[in-house]
Amino acid sequence: MKKFFSLGLVRGLVFELIGTALGIGFITGIRALMGLETKGAFGFSEPAWVFGALLGAVCFMVGVGVLRDWFKWARGEETEEHHDDSHLGWRRYFGPSLDHKVIGIQYLITALVLMVFGGLFALIFRTELAKSGLQFLTTTFKVFDQSGLQLYNTLMSLHGMVMIVSILLGIAALMNYAVPLLIGARDMAFPRLNAFSFWIAVPAGVILLSSLFLGGFETGWTGYPPLSARAPLGMQMFFLGVSLAGFSSIFGALNIIVTVIRMRAPGMNPFRMPIFVWAAIATSIISLTATQLIGLSFQMVMFQRLFGVGFFDPAQGGNPVLFQHLFWFYSHPAVYVFVLPGLGLISELLPVFVRKPLFGYKWVAMSSLGIALVGFLVWGHHMFTSGMAEYLRVPFMYSTLLVAVPTGVKFFSWVGTVWRGKIEFPTPMLFILAGIVVFLLGGLTGPPNATVSTDLHLHDTYFIVGHFHDTMFGGYIFPFFAALYFWYPKVTGRRMNEVLGKIHFWLMTPSFLVLTLAMMRVGLLGMRRRIADYDPALGFDPSHLVMTIAGFLIALSILVFFINLIYSVKRGELATGNLWNSRSPEWQAPSPMPAHNYEQPFEVVGEPYDYGLPGSAYVNMKGNDHDGNQ
Amino acid sequence: MTGTNKTSALRMGLLVFIFLAILTGIEFGIAILLNFWQLLLLVALIKAGLVMYYYMHIYKLFVADENADKESYAYKLVTNRLGLWLFIVSDSFIFGGLMIARVNLLGLNRPELDQALGLVVTSVLLISSFFMNRAETAMAHGDRKTFLASTLITMLLGIGFVAGVLGVEWQIAPFGPSDGPQGAVFYTMTGFHAFHVLTGVIFLFIIFRNGLKGHYSPEKHWGVEACTVYWHFVDVVWIFFYPALYLIGTVI
Repeated sequence: MKKFFSLGLVRGLVFELIGTALGIGFITGIRALMGLETKGAFGFSEPAWVFGALLGAVCFMVGVGVLRDWFKWARGEETEEHHDDSHLGWRRYFGPSLDHKVIGIQYLITALVLMVFGGLFALIFRTELAKSGLQFLTTTFKVFDQSGLQLYNTLMSLHGMVMIVSILLGIAALMNYAVPLLIGARDMAFPRLNAFSFWIAVPAGVILLSSLFLGGFETGWTGYPPLSARAPLGMQMFFLGVSLAGFSSIFGALNIIVTVIRMRAPGMNPFRMPIFVWAAIATSIISLTATQLIGLSFQMVMFQRLFGVGFFDPAQGGNPVLFQHLFWFYSHPAVYVFVLPGLGLISELLPVFVRKPLFGYKWVAMSSLGIALVGFLVWGHHMFTSGMAEYLRVPFMYSTLLVAVPTGVKFFSWVGTVWRGKIEFPTPMLFILAGIVVFLLGGLTGPPNATVSTDLHLHDTYFIVGHFHDTMFGGYIFPFFAALYFWYPKVTGRRMNEVLGKIHFWLMTPSFLVLTLAMMRVGLLGMRRRIADYDPALGFDPSHLVMTIAGFLIALSILVFFINLIYSVKRGELATGNLWNSRSPEWQAPSPMPAHNYEQPFEVVGEPYDYGLPGSAYVNMKGNDHDGNQ
Repeated sequence: MTGTNKTSALRMGLLVFIFLAILTGIEFGIAILLNFWQLLLLVALIKAGLVMYYYMHIYKLFVADENADKESYAYKLVTNRLGLWLFIVSDSFIFGGLMIARVNLLGLNRPELDQALGLVVTSVLLISSFFMNRAETAMAHGDRKTFLASTLITMLLGIGFVAGVLGVEWQIAPFGPSDGPQGAVFYTMTGFHAFHVLTGVIFLFIIFRNGLKGHYSPEKHWGVEACTVYWHFVDVVWIFFYPALYLIGTVI
């Protein structure tokens, strides 16, 4: 029992529970003294619940122990630069480790857990949609103080936000694990901040998911007021959870930027950095700055509910459209946060599997920054029907269409790279190629949504849903799986099973294409998004049935992936050397990667992607273990 | 370190403070006499520029460091500075968002507040900035006594500022948080800012205590520098919030 309690995660969760109880008790006590109402939905008043959840998150951080070194610094004590915790074995994954590789895996596991939750939510409401009429989420259905229809709304909304948090943690996993290895750093620039960034995401996820049990919320993932200003208590948990997850994103991004600027190996000038590092920088610039505004907009609604401030309440002179501006200022660039690392991964891994140099390296590097910067100027395209000033529509339309230029550069580079290459098709390559195709679909369906005249028809239809899932799968999910299959041997020293990997791929890809193309079809024909039921006379029943079946097939393929992931840890084929014949420095070191990364800093002596050029080399490993493959 | 020796560095800090004080006075005059928001914005930008250059030493970010040893204190110091400034960039987006909300909801109106009281709390924060700079300069030259005294004064002035805003201003304002857009804007903006001041006071207390124990030296005092830059950042935010809340336009 004592050993169990020594796991940081367990300690944190117990502390969170205690903290929440204390917070609720504190506010309830104060309200009782002030003669205010102490009872409310789910037993206590709303301020008590919110303060309880917040204090719970703080106590979680104390309990895990990520703040310990900072407290010591504040008291003027010195601490070791790194705590060596490799003797802890698997237990270090459940505690406040400072090793960027351990934190990367922690991020990954959390991202996958949230992905399972988000996927299960989707399966539930997808089942409900398989047929017109209400199947099981009926008006008489009652759970967690919600009727079936309310639960539909909650699940649909949570699917969105849980997946978003999962994606944020997923890209953080890849960046945390890969970036220091790719640039030859010992660790991240701020290891403690890195641990903090990861661990704050855990209570954030807990609070976000708790909204399901505290009445849910009905606004969709966007949380627009005025509806969110009077939604059930779950709304507050949603706002608080997302705000806390935002800190994870912000501090993670800060760490990545400083690490890349300050910790590169000798000889690695900016245009010899791996493309994935460029993508990580571009993503981090957005996360660092814009994330504050989604946090702020959500906090403003929280304050409106708690203290009655009238930012978004027209009756008090507020302006609901202001919320949408603040919200989309982050939430549009956020999709570039999700896809830029994935697109960077495609450019990073493609040359390995076609044995050719990356076509137009500098243009690809700059295109990531270009997408990130143009991304700050396009948020208004989500608001063409919101009633914002009409003269704003056209500039936002053009700025949005401008995003196609740097994205086109990327596609051109991919085609140029694949052209006449010696293409191999192991599982990671399959996911990369599918990622390109799916992202192309997502990209081509974007401009119709960005063009005012067509958007007025397409807004709030399933066409948007189809487009969005194409961009997310093409820009994140497919490259993400490619990266997992690609770097898995680096983490474990064993490779994942190829047969299961190919089953995963061939199950998921066709099902996914069917799913989104069917979504777009019914969307064009007028199917509204975010609703639990539709008119049978519209004739959408067969399409929805197909979508539901496709959804379950995707879930099945993910199950195959999980079996492969767990099975291969112990039983996978040994792969300690340079499995993919990559030029990248991390593959010149042994697998699994040693705790200290490289024995000595390597030196960059050439271009990163000169595959197939005789006599060329990217790095000089200088006494690091070398497996001799080139 | 703004000067080669302590006296000239301290004199520089005083000179910048006098400039800032004069500009604050001019700002008040413009608001009373001219009511011309473009000029107020210009003055605020000049003040922020002075603070960022002379008090926050933003130029230190661009000093090339030749130190090759990545484990050395000097190398890590530059890394830490970059991290802190990126945090400030990130944080300023919150305040920028609040400012956008204020412009959107109130436009060229301002909340119904006592302008004299606003000038008083602003002066308190400005004087605290002077002492903060004095504390850092003293520590950079190894003068622990001046450092401790100045840090203590800064801390007290910071507490005074919070007391002035939360304890006096919030109590005497003729509107509550739920009274229209002016309530929403005023209480949220000052609330977010006061929260930052309070964290700054805690930070000041930490460096005061560690300074008392003798943990800082002219070569190694990153904690002091970080606290200084953070405190001045909170001051820069107020340089923009003060005219936005107290000076611009006409009372709603």
